[in-house]
Amino acid sequence: MQTQIGVGILSLPYELHLKAKQDGWISLVIGAAILTIVLFVLWGIAKQFPEKDFFQINDVIFTKWPGRAISLFYVLYFMAVSVLIVLLFTRLISLWVLPNTPFWILAFLLIFVCLYLANAGLLIIARFYTMVSFLLLLLIVLTIYSLQEIHLMYLLPVGESGLGKIMSGVPEAMMSFLGFFVSLVFFSKVEGKSKDKLKIMLAAHLFVLVYYLFTVAVTYMFFSTEELRLVPEPLLYMLKSFELPIVARVDLFFVSIWVVSVATSFTTYIYMAGLGVKHIFNKKSSPIIHFILCLLIFVGATLIGYDMGKMNRFGEIIVGIGLGATVAFPFLMFPIVWLVKRMKGKGAGQA
Amino acid sequence: MGFWKRLFFGDHTKLEDRQPNDTKKEPKQPSSAKLSANIDYLMNEFNRTSDLKIRILKKGNAALLYFESLVDQEKVQEAIFKPIELGDVEDISNLPHSKETLNLEEAITTLLRGHAIYMEDGSRKISQFKVTSSFNRSPEEPANEKVVRGSHDGFVENMMININLIRKRIENRDLNVKYFKLGKKTNTNVAVIYLDGVADPEIVQQIETRMKDISADMIHSPGYVEEFIEDQTFSPFPQMLNTERPDRAVANLMEGRVAILTEGSPTTLIAPSTFFMFYQASDDYNMRWYTGTFVRLIRLASFIIAIGLPAFYIAVVGFHFEVIPDDLVIPVKSSINEIAYPPIMEAFVMVVIIELIREAGIRLPQPIGQTIGIVGGLVIGDAVVRAGLVSNLMVIVVALTAIASFVVPSNELSTTLRLLTFPLIILAGTLGFVGIVFGFLFILIHLSRLESFGVPYFSPVSPLRIKDLKDTFIRVPLYKMNERPKDSHAIQTEAVGPSREWKKREKTGKPQTIESGTNQTTGGDQSVSSDSSSE
Repeated sequence: MQTQIGVGILSLPYELHLKAKQDGWISLVIGAAILTIVLFVLWGIAKQFPEKDFFQINDVIFTKWPGRAISLFYVLYFMAVSVLIVLLFTRLISLWVLPNTPFWILAFLLIFVCLYLANAGLLIIARFYTMVSFLLLLLIVLTIYSLQEIHLMYLLPVGESGLGKIMSGVPEAMMSFLGFFVSLVFFSKVEGKSKDKLKIMLAAHLFVLVYYLFTVAVTYMFFSTEELRLVPEPLLYMLKSFELPIVARVDLFFVSIWVVSVATSFTTYIYMAGLGVKHIFNKKSSPIIHFILCLLIFVGATLIGYDMGKMNRFGEIIVGIGLGATVAFPFLMFPIVWLVKRMKGKGAGQA
Repeated sequence: MGFWKRLFFGDHTKLEDRQPNDTKKEPKQPSSAKLSANIDYLMNEFNRTSDLKIRILKKGNAALLYFESLVDQEKVQEAIFKPIELGDVEDISNLPHSKETLNLEEAITTLLRGHAIYMEDGSRKISQFKVTSSFNRSPEEPANEKVVRGSHDGFVENMMININLIRKRIENRDLNVKYFKLGKKTNTNVAVIYLDGVADPEIVQQIETRMKDISADMIHSPGYVEEFIEDQTFSPFPQMLNTERPDRAVANLMEGRVAILTEGSPTTLIAPSTFFMFYQASDDYNMRWYTGTFVRLIRLASFIIAIGLPAFYIAVVGFHFEVIPDDLVIPVKSSINEIAYPPIMEAFVMVVIIELIREAGIRLPQPIGQTIGIVGGLVIGDAVVRAGLVSNLMVIVVALTAIASFVVPSNELSTTLRLLTFPLIILAGTLGFVGIVFGFLFILIHLSRLESFGVPYFSPVSPLRIKDLKDTFIRVPLYKMNERPKDSHAIQTEAVGPSREWKKREKTGKPQTIESGTNQTTGGDQSVSSDSSSE
């Protein structure tokens, strides 16, 4: 769940708005609805192999070598997402908090802390996530504070920008939900009945949707359509304008807490990539793998650095791959899983 | 007579004195019938130490040996010579309260324990008499764990008295004490105490195996034991609770934890322990629960203040001046402007000064210690600001931090907190808020990774268990703490049954049902009415 509310939250409203104007929140809902179906498909796949994680499933249904190739592709994808997270994180920090700090220090800090967490294993990661999810509540409270200055007017007229435009915002919206793929990878690692797990998955999904919807709606109502075109991180700008009696800049605190959720999503991706590598190369010790992965991510991220143009292109590529890998692929996978399962079942029956 | 009784009615297995430790593996040296050979052997084994006293009796035919330094002369008189003088028995070897052996090695260990041994020429028998002298402090309240209300006794250096204090509080047959002899050279007595049927046998087992693995010449304090058996020696956080208070030890035993006592030290180790245990004080349970909760919250807030406040201040002053509200900017700025050094230097200087004062105050005798506190705190604090070396805001911040770190009821954790301040100050001085967040993240991750004897250290927050939060951030009324916390892995979970049923009865008017004769004070009227209602 933490992974989902990752980096995207701050700039999401802006990107949505570029595509769909004030009806961006409709795109968000549509995107979430599509993803719910995907989630069911993922659940359907994972249910067939209750003891196996995602990479082992690949092995079974695509036979050994093609399966490994696909796993490798996913590992690369996870790593690419990690790089993207590092890039977005450092850019935002350098824009908002520390304009003079060199890139590698921030990247190193983030990677170092997350490496420490990832090495602790899934159980500890899960414990840690539940603990820090309380911080999300704090983020919400900070956002709620801004409710006093919103204008419902800005949301009107509903549906003005037309269906086509709304639909074109959907991929952007789905992008921000990309963390849902975690549920497939970790499905077997979590104890409990598959039905309960589905419930948890859906609940997490719903929570994320509500949370996104809330922030998007609040920012839309805070800034007029014209203003929103100019501010790339509307949530922060909105908070910046407030002044609590004790502290003047709420946005700085918001960013500080936001760092935590970035760190959690980054850790998840490292861990997933590490899991994949472990499986592909049949290795046992994860600390070394995680270390190598982090080194690669660090190098990859430093190559791009603060360069905005490169970063945007990189981001677009990742989004494209991400949509393919996490939305389209499961639909492809599902019938194959079903077929393989049936054939296996028949074979077992005959024998 | 006794012999015949035993022959006819008794069991015929050979009964032996119960030893605290398994003696089978210890070396054996059979005693000789020659007195001089025995004495020579003992003298050689003790390297002719000067305080081994040998009194030759019966014109050279018998000898009484003891360590002058370990033995109470009056007891020797009372136990050995007085019965002879009074004519109760003719011979010392016939004294009934002696313990007999034929093994010289055993005699050596008992001699070292403060016994006197008596040997006669022509007999292999060695009689041992317990005449140990012991000098005990009275069980006064420990100076480092004072409470306002509650019991005011504390553990002392004598382990037997300590166990006595615990047993007096838990009159239960399930209270189990296990002795260990640790330290190859010092042979220190260590006791492991737990409540059988409540404590997790796996944890007890684990503690025992870890204790048995210790192979050191000297076990000189509980700190030794702690470092040998704790999970992570590289963590700054203490993983076993140290306490000198019997009531605290007993409360933890009742939660299903294990206490480790060491001879010669009043400090008891409690394992497995969690982070929040260090924030519980016996005081909390003697207050109204509102006040108890309030004090708890203050203490936990002190954790954040102690490690975060200087870092926060430095980050604000150094990086994020815009966080300060408009009205405060001018006073803050004016106080800092005239200081030559960057805030991070100021903080370091002040924190180090506070530590110096604290350490000096401990080592000096009490009257001077107080003087140091006043000189250090008031004079230096004031002078440093006037001299323009440190801003007065920084003095406030550092003083607050120091006070906050002393709020923790446990001394170990308090030192840990003061140590953790430094990395956070550095991070804040270099990266501002982002540095602090990463520092805290790292600490939190570390806390969630830590385990104390297989129990997550940061429970019940991570892993989250809402039910157990009732004795961490808050303290709910005692009758609501009906389950033992899960982090102690107690096998018997229920701790408090329904205890306030009388309130419900008052409302519904139902009489009390008498259970197993425990409520004998219930008035006759009630029992009569219960009879009538049952009819």
